[in-house]
Amino acid sequence: MAEEPTLLVVRPRSVLRRKRFTWVLVPAVLVAVVGAITLSTNGGVTAPIPDVVVVEAKMASKEDFFNDAVVRRVLMENGIQVHLTATGSREVATGDLGGYDFVFPSGQPAALLIKQQRKAERRFVKPHKPFFSPVVLGTYRAYADALVEAGVATPQPGVEPPMYYNVNLAGFLGLTRAGKTWQGLGGDAPLGNGNRVLAQTSDVCYSNSAGTYMGMAAFAVNDRRPPADEAEAVALAEEIRPLLTAQGFPGDDMAQAYLAPEGRGLAPVSVFYEHQFLAHQVRTKDLHGGPDSDRVLLYPEDQVQAVPELIALTPNGERVGELVTNDPRLRRRALELGFRVFETDDVSTSGEFGAFLREKRLPMPVSGIGDTETFLPPLDLLEKMIKTVGRC
Amino acid sequence: MLTRWALCALLVASALVGCTADTGDPVRLTVLADRELGDLGPLLADLRRDTGVDLVLDLRDSRDVGTGPAPGASGHDLAWVGSEALFRLRAGRGGPVPLSTSTMVSPVVVGLRPAAARRLRAVSARPSWADVADRVAAGELRLAVPDPHRSDVGLTALLGLATAAAGTGQALRAEDVTCDRLAGLRSGQEPTGPDPAAEFAARADRLDGVVDHESALLTLNASGSLDEPLELVYPRDGVVLSDFPLLLLDPGERAAYDRVVAWLLDPAHQQRIMATTARRPVDPAVPREQRLSTDVGTGMFLPESADVLDRLLAAWDEPTTAHVVFVLDFSLSMAGERAAGLRSVFGALSGTGTGGFARFHPGETLTVVRFAGQPLDERTVTVRGQPDLDRLAAAVAPDDFGRNTAIWSAVRQAYARNPTSVVLVTDGENNAGISADDLLAGLPRPAPPLFAVRIGAADPVELRRVAEATGGALVDATGGSLVDAVRGVRGC
Repeated sequence: MAEEPTLLVVRPRSVLRRKRFTWVLVPAVLVAVVGAITLSTNGGVTAPIPDVVVVEAKMASKEDFFNDAVVRRVLMENGIQVHLTATGSREVATGDLGGYDFVFPSGQPAALLIKQQRKAERRFVKPHKPFFSPVVLGTYRAYADALVEAGVATPQPGVEPPMYYNVNLAGFLGLTRAGKTWQGLGGDAPLGNGNRVLAQTSDVCYSNSAGTYMGMAAFAVNDRRPPADEAEAVALAEEIRPLLTAQGFPGDDMAQAYLAPEGRGLAPVSVFYEHQFLAHQVRTKDLHGGPDSDRVLLYPEDQVQAVPELIALTPNGERVGELVTNDPRLRRRALELGFRVFETDDVSTSGEFGAFLREKRLPMPVSGIGDTETFLPPLDLLEKMIKTVGRC
Repeated sequence: MLTRWALCALLVASALVGCTADTGDPVRLTVLADRELGDLGPLLADLRRDTGVDLVLDLRDSRDVGTGPAPGASGHDLAWVGSEALFRLRAGRGGPVPLSTSTMVSPVVVGLRPAAARRLRAVSARPSWADVADRVAAGELRLAVPDPHRSDVGLTALLGLATAAAGTGQALRAEDVTCDRLAGLRSGQEPTGPDPAAEFAARADRLDGVVDHESALLTLNASGSLDEPLELVYPRDGVVLSDFPLLLLDPGERAAYDRVVAWLLDPAHQQRIMATTARRPVDPAVPREQRLSTDVGTGMFLPESADVLDRLLAAWDEPTTAHVVFVLDFSLSMAGERAAGLRSVFGALSGTGTGGFARFHPGETLTVVRFAGQPLDERTVTVRGQPDLDRLAAAVAPDDFGRNTAIWSAVRQAYARNPTSVVLVTDGENNAGISADDLLAGLPRPAPPLFAVRIGAADPVELRRVAEATGGALVDATGGSLVDAVRGVRGC
């Protein structure tokens, strides 16, 4: 669930935590295995447990995938246990890579930095692109309705009531700039929220979703043009900075804050990934028979495709990359966790993803994903803008 | 094929270890912890049994935890604080950031005796921080408020109050902090140490309520030590949540830290934490107990720089013995609508629930000098209760408007009262008495600030010149509300 924490966050880990697991060191487990094999008459256990390799990995929001019980089980059956260090995506790239078997930053800028660095050092590096998920704004129906009323959002055609809306970021940020508060937006049902109209993000200094949102905001404010040179990039970053820092101290996990029962008051419009929302809807549907109809998504009209790259740094990391990309059960699980898996052509994602949503009777969002590269400035300029906005 | 989970199930069945938190080598970790986390005591034994990690909490005031030394330097292995944001703001952005995991959450709220809650709700069905500050300043609510220097709860409450008072809808900035907005609450509060709920219980006979974490107030209610449970007020204009992060100070203890965090985040243990401490689970999927299902309302944004905290504490410490002299123009041109405006200002600031943060508060001394061609009369009150405020409001009631406008003579009389600030309200030009230069020549240096509120056709040039010479300012009420103008210039 975690999205782009600003700090290292550690998630539950399992029993086997040494670099290389050996049976001799843990007699208690041996006892258990003997017990397990005696169960095999009714439990169907036929094969002995393979040697288990503990694989060290560092990532941000994609830890949702590796923390998942089903994913861990499938990997374990393949003799792999992933030990996670959770961190912001940019920290994945800028921090020490020593001791890690693979990293999984949420966006391309961080991935590019790592690949460039490893190639320069002539060290093992092998990227995989198993799936992706766009950066979105999660919100609540009353807030979406207020934005429609204010003329900056439109419901996507399809189901009633809508689960997805398109938002015009230039118009949305115009409300922030004008000092509008949610309760000042008017509409039929006053929102009773004196906070300024804005989308809360995690720390732009660490997080890919926040950095991407910053890039989209800059693009929207700059008449749909990325800055061309450093001077323009810095000026543009300074121009949008007050709009992005009005939220003050950034949260460390926007999806968690948004999805909490208190989310409506604490994080009513929050920037995170589509997969975090869809995983919640799939879970809600499975538990209660229907979707959570109060939580809805806003898709920026000019979308940036956030393609996370699983970058193997060792042969063990490469085994994980291969499995995540090709194992049918892991691909299926990725869909259930809300990711758009790449199909065999490595380009399109709508087929399996669409079929899965239809199967779950959830509506299919239309995301305005176009040509990513034209939206975000070149990597060095994006970095410059992030550092300008975040003062980092 | 045997799975990890089958293995886990077996291990659990044979009561050897848990699945998400393995028992490693027994290890003892020292934890620099906020005093209020002492309530986790009952859970620590189970944590030790399940993970092999013995957490020894060194309980301190939040000041001593939060402003602690750089990671590792305190000699503790871990720190457990109330607020990640406050910890990191104090540590300074850009410094080393310890590994950190939020473990539970609780908002800072106001707990009131039922009778006091009824009085507050009579003012506003869903009370705001402004309503609370107003009733405290009016002497109607006696509230225990933890010292913001010593307690993160106190500092958090102060942030909530100041952010609401600034009313910008965005995170508090240093320039938004004005001491007069905080003085109301400060004047009527009972300062307490780091366990306000307990101190309230000990002094319940002379207090109406207390500011503390929702968890502490619910726990106090459940303890049965009060005659009647406190009613919790979640201020309408926003609450601030504490997120209780566990921080790894000694990176060498990462393995044990991981075991502890895994145990704390396990849904079953999140539920136990909730049942034991009344703090809300950090895991969105863990259902809240009935008593924690209350909507906390809007979350307030936290400042992004530490100087805001410094400024806030400095403003909180400003003396509340302010003496403001109001110099009010009662020349003929003020008769009618303008005088009615003045009276409504005094009505609002003297308090019927509309004064909010700016209202007059106990401890403050206020003088009204009315003038026309010469000073007409003068009245001074030191606020102790509502009767004093009623007398003050009566001072602006007479209709004896006079000819001419001796602005600077009246202001000189105001300065003779040794004020902390002077507020002049006029709609005319000086045409009697001394000149502006005469006044300036006779003022002490530095002079207390003069705030000049200009109505109608009053000459802005001379008003601004004198105001700025004293470090004050000219405020234009020509097009806007006189109430807002006067509220904006009280100073401290």
